[in-house]
Amino acid sequence: MIIVKDLHKTFENNHVLRGVNYHVHHGEKIVVIGPSGSGKSTFLRCLNLLEVPTSGEIWFDGVNITDPKTNIDKVREHMGMVFQNFNLFHNLTIMQNITLAPVKLKIMEKDEAGENALKLLERVGLKEKADAYPSQLSGGQKQRVAIVRSLAMNPRVMLFDEPTSALDPEMVGEVLAVMKGLAESGMTMVVVTHEMGFAREVGTKVLFMDEGIIMEENTPQEFFNHPKSQRLQDFLSKVL
Amino acid sequence: MQAWLERVAEMFDAAFISGDRWKLYLQGLGVTLQIAAFAAILGMIIGTVLAFMKLSVRRNGKKTILAVLANIYIDVIRGTPSVLQLMIMWFIIFYSAKNRVAVAVLSFGINSGAYVAEIVRAGILAVDKGQMEAGRSLGLSKTQTMISIIIPQAVKNVLPPIGNEFIVLLKETAIVGYVSLTDLTRVANQIASRTYEPFMPLIGAAVIYFIVIKILTILLERFERRLRKSDNR
Repeated sequence: MIIVKDLHKTFENNHVLRGVNYHVHHGEKIVVIGPSGSGKSTFLRCLNLLEVPTSGEIWFDGVNITDPKTNIDKVREHMGMVFQNFNLFHNLTIMQNITLAPVKLKIMEKDEAGENALKLLERVGLKEKADAYPSQLSGGQKQRVAIVRSLAMNPRVMLFDEPTSALDPEMVGEVLAVMKGLAESGMTMVVVTHEMGFAREVGTKVLFMDEGIIMEENTPQEFFNHPKSQRLQDFLSKVL
Repeated sequence: MQAWLERVAEMFDAAFISGDRWKLYLQGLGVTLQIAAFAAILGMIIGTVLAFMKLSVRRNGKKTILAVLANIYIDVIRGTPSVLQLMIMWFIIFYSAKNRVAVAVLSFGINSGAYVAEIVRAGILAVDKGQMEAGRSLGLSKTQTMISIIIPQAVKNVLPPIGNEFIVLLKETAIVGYVSLTDLTRVANQIASRTYEPFMPLIGAAVIYFIVIKILTILLERFERRLRKSDNR
């Protein structure tokens, strides 16, 4: 579904990604972990071209999205993204946040988008917040709305960039629960996170990134119980 | 005491009542408001266009030719006195123009545009980068995100300094006396030199400016409060 070939990204003089190769298959839940500065967020942001790679190719469902001739807006309609800082639109209500893109991009009529939004909000237990503004919500609620906003576009894959890192501890659970439900529904997901429990429980594959490359890749079982590289063993001993 | 009061009444009469002079102040105020209002609109248009020119970037992250041109415009306008700009417009560029108020509007509008450009640019840059990223990640184009998300938020940021700019502009129009347009300040000055009593006309004109600007301030505050509705916590 997503094929990454020899991906490099350089900021000024900082070589962040040093040749990443990976293949995400339909229905997989890929969890990416690694120390800060390892390039895992940059890797994720390259997948929908929020960061433009310095070199290398990314293919999404048979389309080379790194080709400048590709209409990236069209590609992004099928790739949802959830940010660490939620990034809900401050000037719009929750309902407007969710329906803006489907209506503007003529994917749904306004009524249809509204009904769909209410259905999705109900699924995450926030139906009564439809007319509130983002500033009236807690962090966990904001992140659940952000997930719904992405889902409203019916994406084929969902990208999560440290979705629980900006949350108070007691709100992490509610967001992870929504993500777990999403995983069970069969969504293809790529998740950058520090939540090892989530990686173990929900991931079909876990990747360890360090120094701009994927150092180790395995099933959660093997990954956490029999880490091969010294780097991963050190990392796991610190975080577990 | 009695004599002093009579003297004040006499001065007041000379400055405002006799010969229906109060009408002259109103006419002057009309000219002032007309120039200020149209120049403010023109300045907003020029400033917004300049701001977007300045914010435009090429694919490789370098400045566009539009950004360079906008920079030159802003540098030149901010680097020269507005009185001189007005006089150059008046005596050199449009020396044969019939509509003198329009020339003043053009001159002040061009001047104000340079300042508005920086205000609008700052207002757009102050919107969190994540807002644009969120819009783009949903498949919206840069322009669509700008219109639906960034600009509505930027307007809120921009309102206080724009109000400030309007107030400065309104008072700045007092220099049109240099090119013999009869605005409120010039009316006061003319009446003062006719009656040999500068106190009443000058203080009177100052009070009129103050009241007009106070009303403008109240309107802006009300508008700002309405826009802040979505920020209630």
